[in-house]
Amino acid sequence: MNKRYLFLAAIVILLGVGMLFMPNSNDNKQVSPELLLSAIDDPSRFLTTDDITDRLVKKDPALLLLDVRPAEAFKSFSIPGSVNLPADSLLTASAMEMLKQDAKDKVFCSNSDVTADQAWIICKRLGLNRIYVMQGGINQWFNTIVKAAKPAESASSKTIELYQFRVAACQHFYGSPEMATASKAEVKKTVTVVKKASGAASGGGC
Amino acid sequence: MVGPLIPMGVIPEAWNNVIALLLGAGFGFTLEASGFSSSRKIMGTFFGYDFVVLRVFFTAAVTAMTGIIYFDYMGWMDASMLYINPYYVMSAIVGGIIMGLGFALGGFCPGTSFCGVAIGKIDALFFTTGLFLGVFIFSELYPLFDKLYNGQDIGGAKIYDLLGMRQNVFAFLLIIAAVGMFYFAGFVEKKVKKVEY
Repeated sequence: MNKRYLFLAAIVILLGVGMLFMPNSNDNKQVSPELLLSAIDDPSRFLTTDDITDRLVKKDPALLLLDVRPAEAFKSFSIPGSVNLPADSLLTASAMEMLKQDAKDKVFCSNSDVTADQAWIICKRLGLNRIYVMQGGINQWFNTIVKAAKPAESASSKTIELYQFRVAACQHFYGSPEMATASKAEVKKTVTVVKKASGAASGGGC
Repeated sequence: MVGPLIPMGVIPEAWNNVIALLLGAGFGFTLEASGFSSSRKIMGTFFGYDFVVLRVFFTAAVTAMTGIIYFDYMGWMDASMLYINPYYVMSAIVGGIIMGLGFALGGFCPGTSFCGVAIGKIDALFFTTGLFLGVFIFSELYPLFDKLYNGQDIGGAKIYDLLGMRQNVFAFLLIIAAVGMFYFAGFVEKKVKKVEY
């Protein structure tokens, strides 16, 4: 038999044996790039802090506010009513179960909205529905709700109404703005200087 | 037609037909150069004196399959994006029988018959006339065949899924089967009396 044919047959069989050791092709389903791009372009995924606060105060059962910061950051300060789901455990089975609830609006929040947006993109690629990002993140929430700036007296009634809403919401959560900041305030370390007793170490020297 | 370059705008849409023509000419040239325009060569598969058709088709299938599997593994292409023709069970069986009969009687398959016409073969000319006649009759009697034609659609079915096998195991077995068949074909060709054509 022609040696060339034997050589070619050996190559193709070798390639076939190589296939046997390949991992199963991953059939990870994800949305098409075009759909993802148009979703990224669409700003409707951003919800304002006022909107979220309003729903938190009303205890909207369809709202699931997910804090994607690490657990330590969540412990030191978090929005009342939010659930901690660190970004690195977003793809675990239990997290997926939580995210796949079709009846709930899943809203991601982080310090700013960068990490939350990343979590949003991952979930969007997986084809999850009703996912949102809290615009401005927890910093924005703190600045608008807890430290609501008092508008000028000449401001429109709408602005004043919004301010009153923010103050009321803060009182709903914390009683007073001071209480909210109190939990964040650092405990000052007092340094006491202990003076060496003179002559104590030099007992019996030359 | 030429994805992904045309849909992505790398090549302008207007080039579509030009590229199709060039690809078609290349395909026809290769068919003719490999002797596929001769009905005697094609018939050799049925009589056992020439298995070049079997070799060509299985080599093409195995090469394409191996390429797709390795390219997908390397991440150079996404095999899940490939379009798979829907499988209509009954029409595939009936169509296969009719096509096989025509193949064995006429000594051409549709592609090779046009190749034969291009180099002026009279039998190919008769074959293509019959082909168009068949297309005409089918079109005229379409309402009769509609149920058979569009029935039992099981979508883009894959044979390893139907067999409950892993894709790569099936690919490996197909390669072994192809190489075995090539060896067996060579063995038969030696035993059968040579036909000059």
